[in-house]
Amino acid sequence: MTNIELVNLKKTYPGGETPVLNHLSLTIHSGEMMALLGPSGSGKSTILKLITGIETPDEGDILFDGESILPIAPNKRGAILMFQKAYLFPFLSVEDNIGFGMKVRGDNAKTIRAEVRKMLDLIGLPGFEKRKPSQLSGGEQQRVALARALVLQPRSMLLDEPLSSLDTEVRVNLQEAIRRIQRELGITTILVTHDLNEAMGMADRVALLLDGQVAAVDQPMHLYARPPTKPTSRFVGITTFLEGELKQGHLATEQGTLTVNTNRHQADSAVFAIRPEHIRVQKEPGQNSMAGLIAECIFRGDYIEYQVAVDKQTSIRARVPMPAPLIEHGQQVYICFPPEYLFEVEPN
Amino acid sequence: MAPAILIISVLFGASILFGLAQSFGMMTGTQQETISLAAYQSVFSGQGPAGREFWSSFWFSLWVATASTFFSAIGALAVAIWLSDRKKKSQQIDTLALNWNMAFPHLVWAIALLLFFSQSGFLARLSATFGFIQTPAEFPVLVLDRFGIGIIIDYVTKEIPFLTLILLAVLRSQAENLDVVAENLGASRWQQLRFVTIPQVMPALSAGSLIVFGFIFSAFEVPAILGVRYPRMLPVLALDFFLNQDLNRRAEGMVISFVITVFVIIVAILSQKQEKGTQQ
Amino acid sequence: MKKASFIAFRVVLYAILIAPLFLFGLYAFSERWFFPAPLPTQWTASIFTRIITNSRTTAGLSASLSLALIVTVLSLIIGYPAARVLGTKVFRGRSLAWLIFFIPTVVPPLAIGMGLNILFLRLGWSGTMFGVVLAHLVPTLPYTIFTLSGVFSRFDENYELQALVLGSSRLRIFLTITLRLILPGLVVASLFAFLISWSQYLLTLLIGGGKILTIPMLLFSAVSGGNPTSIAAYSLIFVAPPVIMIAASARFLTQHGNTIREQY
Repeated sequence: MTNIELVNLKKTYPGGETPVLNHLSLTIHSGEMMALLGPSGSGKSTILKLITGIETPDEGDILFDGESILPIAPNKRGAILMFQKAYLFPFLSVEDNIGFGMKVRGDNAKTIRAEVRKMLDLIGLPGFEKRKPSQLSGGEQQRVALARALVLQPRSMLLDEPLSSLDTEVRVNLQEAIRRIQRELGITTILVTHDLNEAMGMADRVALLLDGQVAAVDQPMHLYARPPTKPTSRFVGITTFLEGELKQGHLATEQGTLTVNTNRHQADSAVFAIRPEHIRVQKEPGQNSMAGLIAECIFRGDYIEYQVAVDKQTSIRARVPMPAPLIEHGQQVYICFPPEYLFEVEPN
Repeated sequence: MAPAILIISVLFGASILFGLAQSFGMMTGTQQETISLAAYQSVFSGQGPAGREFWSSFWFSLWVATASTFFSAIGALAVAIWLSDRKKKSQQIDTLALNWNMAFPHLVWAIALLLFFSQSGFLARLSATFGFIQTPAEFPVLVLDRFGIGIIIDYVTKEIPFLTLILLAVLRSQAENLDVVAENLGASRWQQLRFVTIPQVMPALSAGSLIVFGFIFSAFEVPAILGVRYPRMLPVLALDFFLNQDLNRRAEGMVISFVITVFVIIVAILSQKQEKGTQQ
Repeated sequence: MKKASFIAFRVVLYAILIAPLFLFGLYAFSERWFFPAPLPTQWTASIFTRIITNSRTTAGLSASLSLALIVTVLSLIIGYPAARVLGTKVFRGRSLAWLIFFIPTVVPPLAIGMGLNILFLRLGWSGTMFGVVLAHLVPTLPYTIFTLSGVFSRFDENYELQALVLGSSRLRIFLTITLRLILPGLVVASLFAFLISWSQYLLTLLIGGGKILTIPMLLFSAVSGGNPTSIAAYSLIFVAPPVIMIAASARFLTQHGNTIREQY
């Protein structure tokens, strides 16, 4: 049950011009699963490397339960890492792989055997003790890697995109397994991923990393529905931003005036966003609607995606969940922005 | 490309020649067409002129080969581990080691050691200059000695680069990350070495060592240059007898050569088993 | 700290590399050098020049060179097709073929030479260049084949297919595409073949029957003669071509990677 604090971390790689982490701070609560989400190069993996001690920060500190772990040697920190590849020791059996950490810290053979057996049951691979890694599938290997970490009851677990190389079905099963076990054992976990759905499905909170800093951190549902800024909105899949002068509940945009719900009375320039699935596409005008023409319509299985051109430069992307009638290319439509789904965001 | 058949027949031809020749040789090379085991008897029983020296040569060869292989293996292990610690480009050192190994064949390297370590050699002269010794006789006998020390030094210095390269290949291709994983799981540097690095290279090391062992046991040039009259390594003994005018001695030389060959083939088979065993 | 020890390592390595040459040079060019002088008291190049212009030496040089070159070329010509098949195709007798090529690398030249000696005597090939070339082929061919087959196992035949589809003739493809792609491996293979032949002592001795004299043989007789100056001189002569050739093909060696053993 360890509380982890990242304090003001700064790290530039030799040969790099901009810092990968730029005064980044984040607190991960004890027993929580925090997902680190961000584009490649945003420093997510670097944070994990700093915690494990493979790399050292240029500035800043990392605290476990209030004490800095930076002076502690990498092999004594208790932050176990799971990689994209399982990296099981090929010359050891499953049993010896899982028991490796215990052997290294001096536990006796009997205890190790017992714990390993319990762990194999927990990850759903009973009886696999004597098998060799080469005999296991990708998913099974990752489970063993998971067991190898968990059996040590570490202070924290760090997952560096461990599921990205697996097939979809295997990945989903493993996501559930990891989530279940993590909750049961209460190990503070940090999950690094570039997959939005994975982050939201597994984590208690999600931290969005942009430009070496935490751009937003919140529970998945909140982050998804109400991201705080324009860049973070883009990351959770929002492409529609309406800008203009705000005056007494009305936003004057170039394409028309919309009613919005907000506490602010006045602003020269305000930005409002809306999720694509909340935009309505209909034949008649309605509240907060704009006229436009269907420029593209793409069927995507769960929904239809429309690109609606409202003027020469502006085109709005809307998603209409299935089942819905297909509106043809070139048709004249009205898109509506229901005020309850419009929310204000910071420009950056 | 079909001409492979041509090659195989050429080679097969060479192998048959070689095999045929062996059988001829075993039949004393005279007009005698029946297989005579006299040469075998004389060698193995320790009676005849070849036989008298055979067993001491055999054990001597075994000693030299074992000692050389052992020290080469340990040396190579140490060097490979030390080199692989470095993350950056030690590629240069690798190429250098390989090139050096090839530029100085065993023949020449042995001669260099001879000139360097002999009692009137370069090192001896340096010691005299610094006043450690007065006469050549005072310099320790390092080459041309009865224990094969010179021979062992030669082989160890030549085989360490060879084995090191093999080990580095393993350490660099297979997950260097395994060390990181082990450390992350709590292993100290020493524990990493003991539980991860060494088990990883062991198959390649034993396979390579067996190759080295077989080679040393059957090689001629180095013991010919750095060895003494007694005891002699087996190949030197074999050749000496083979070149003798007396046809019986020749046959005995052939037998000794055959013994060496069989021994080496067995070692090679073991080595291949080791290598295949790693490629699961 | 680590860096310092690395530099030290490098220094030692280079020293070991140069040392033999240095040593040979000292001895070869010395006139008076008696114990316990650390360096020759008198230098001269005349002894060395005498040795090198001596007719036995020049004959030996030309014998060694021509022998090694012929063997290398033959190894490549014969070995290339075999290596190609071995490296790219899977066929039924593969393990057997592999075995046939492998055994000669394990069996010592001593045994091979002794066996062939008697046979060649009977065939009248003993003492001839032809016989010695054949004998040398036994160790060199397998190494050539294994090196090249290693290259071919990594070779993508689609390049050739592409050229074929675009209308090129087979010969053209071979000359312009295939050779270029396998060039590093080819260089290494020929280097190995050359070196193996160049350093052969026993085979030449046993098959050459005293008529074919090569540098290694002159070297050996110098060693039994005991004169350090001539030993060193012949050593320099012996070592020069390998050193030159390796220096020339150094960059191909880096590309190629490590030892041959890796090929299988």
